[in-house]
Amino acid sequence: MPSRVHPRVEIVRPGLLTFATRGPSRYFGGDRALAEMVHAAVHAAVSAVAAAPVRVGVADGRFAAQLAARNARPEASGLPAALVVAPGGSASFVAPFPVVVLGAPATADLLERLGLPTVGDFAALPPGAVAERFGPEGHRLHCLARGLDDASLALTEPPPDLVEQIELDPPATRVDTAAFAAKALADRLLARLGERGLVCTRVMVEAETEHGERLARCWRHEGAFTAAALAERVRWQLDGWFAARSGDGDVAALGDPRARQDAAVIADAALTSAIGLLRIVPDEVLPADGRQLGFWGGDQVVHDRADRVLARVQGMLGHDAVVTAVPQGAARRGERAVGAMGRAAGAGAPALRRWGEARLARCGAAAVAGARLRAAAARRSPRLGRWARGRDGPRRGVGATGVPTSRRAPRRWGEVRGWAGPWPHDVRWWDPAGRRRRVLWQVVVDAGSRGEIACLISVEAGRAGVEALYD
Amino acid sequence: MVSLAAAERASLPGRDPASRSRLEVLAREVRPAVAAADRTLPVAGDLGALLPGGGLRRGSVVTVGGAVGDGGTSLVLHLAAAATAAGEWAALVDPRSTLGGAAAAEAGVSLDRCAFVRRVPQGRWATVVAALLDGVALVVATVPTGLRPGDARRLAARARERAAVLVALEAPPTAGAPGRAGAWPVEAALRMVAEGSPWPGLTAGSGLLAPRALRVGVERRDGARSGEVAPLARAG
Repeated sequence: MPSRVHPRVEIVRPGLLTFATRGPSRYFGGDRALAEMVHAAVHAAVSAVAAAPVRVGVADGRFAAQLAARNARPEASGLPAALVVAPGGSASFVAPFPVVVLGAPATADLLERLGLPTVGDFAALPPGAVAERFGPEGHRLHCLARGLDDASLALTEPPPDLVEQIELDPPATRVDTAAFAAKALADRLLARLGERGLVCTRVMVEAETEHGERLARCWRHEGAFTAAALAERVRWQLDGWFAARSGDGDVAALGDPRARQDAAVIADAALTSAIGLLRIVPDEVLPADGRQLGFWGGDQVVHDRADRVLARVQGMLGHDAVVTAVPQGAARRGERAVGAMGRAAGAGAPALRRWGEARLARCGAAAVAGARLRAAAARRSPRLGRWARGRDGPRRGVGATGVPTSRRAPRRWGEVRGWAGPWPHDVRWWDPAGRRRRVLWQVVVDAGSRGEIACLISVEAGRAGVEALYD
Repeated sequence: MVSLAAAERASLPGRDPASRSRLEVLAREVRPAVAAADRTLPVAGDLGALLPGGGLRRGSVVTVGGAVGDGGTSLVLHLAAAATAAGEWAALVDPRSTLGGAAAAEAGVSLDRCAFVRRVPQGRWATVVAALLDGVALVVATVPTGLRPGDARRLAARARERAAVLVALEAPPTAGAPGRAGAWPVEAALRMVAEGSPWPGLTAGSGLLAPRALRVGVERRDGARSGEVAPLARAG
């Protein structure tokens, strides 16, 4: 695990961890060697539970390194996906990216409309003018854009008595018990920080077990922790520790390979017994520069209540079981129609966001489909093979024109009454491994006494299936 | 004004008994209107006209049934839209991750007050729904097969206590099992059945499916009625 490489590995969120490389690079023989080593270590940890790409980026600051990791590609098959930006080259590395990568959608939108589409354009503005117009948040983004990371922030040494801990009696054997205690802990810590006019950007989450083991992990937040965000990090961490203990059962959320994989990276060490003590140590605190609440706040009570309940359900089911949808820009009508019908995230289909997170979650493709779908019954049913053929003999290739006929429709469906298509749908065309080419048809079939059923049929590699039902 | 004690009212200057009684009549007329808005979630459009009081009574259980493809999903999204339009939150329990966010948005659900809860194991369904009823005004959940009447009663009691609406989406009846495995096992305040209708928009080889008017049957305590529900006007 990466903590063998560096004593202070910071987890930003499940799926992303960062650490300072200067020392380890010197020790292990350069950035490249370090990146390859870390890649191998993480890959070994992750591949035991799920096959997922691991990417490593090295740059002058956290932001640039994160961008480098996101853009790392293996140079040849067999080589690890690692991208090393030369020292001092971070500013020019981040310059060509669109401003939205800075992670502040509202500001990015404004910058684009001001005619500053790339990070480089934004970085070229004079720092004073940016701070004047966009305030402290804008200043921070401008630092990122210039490849300076948040080094300009004046970090305050946390007062030693800000540590919050709670003894669990009886010791917690389940995630939700411990997470419940953690919530109170986080509230208390944030309240005390608030009294001193401080905010916290990095915490150590520590747990002691009945057997006297001590587990600790460092979590970092891009902005500043709110009580909810902090409690969430602690719960992720507890999820990881408990999951590593119980192998693969127990935690309901871990039926999902991605959650298992997250847990494997987060855990690092496994519990051997129940947790008797939980501690949160603020590791990096900053003076709070204030937050202005929106003027038209809406009904805060309703939101708070929903917030609590959804967080609790998330605690029961795992952190990506509760999502909200975020509308994305609508595309042209035809495109939208196809996108809305397709299962994959098409244009105009809302993206899903895990509850409590600003980041978009990768989601089960089915969930973003815009069609009013209910059960996608009989997917890839071989009996539907006939639908892929036209009246004039077999279709040639995907995208050819065939006419769906229905001498043998699925189940007890009757004749086709209306149809439209085909719409070629090239899914993930940029990705040679994940690319799927298929065609979609909208079809209305006779359902006997029940009237009609409208569905979306997809044909892929000569096989057809019911993709979705309009319900 | 209404809550003034009798002694205080008597001491008010210049009020003859006739005008005072007129005021009291007026107060009675005004008061229930405010309380009723608190007790129901008004449902827009034709669907609201089919429902008692023009909406969903808070603290009640509503079941939605219908065969596959007959419009049950559209119906529950329509109800969820009613909750978000009232400024409340809605939660959609979606164990198989088949509900579409775009469809919800099209049905009028405001997405910033709507949560999708996915991957709910069958064994924890009742616990999750009960937790959601605690803080969300409207919860849509697909009834799992073999839901025990005891659990269903407990959920109904929880909904009543928290003044939340539970919309139980029933599994479509299967021909082989007349026992209705995925039905809500106890009495509900309101039963709605989507009855389907023809789909406009497609011909042989051209067109695009258009929103359809849905036939909906509603069983209320005061009798059954049914009607067509026109699709809501789309935003664009």
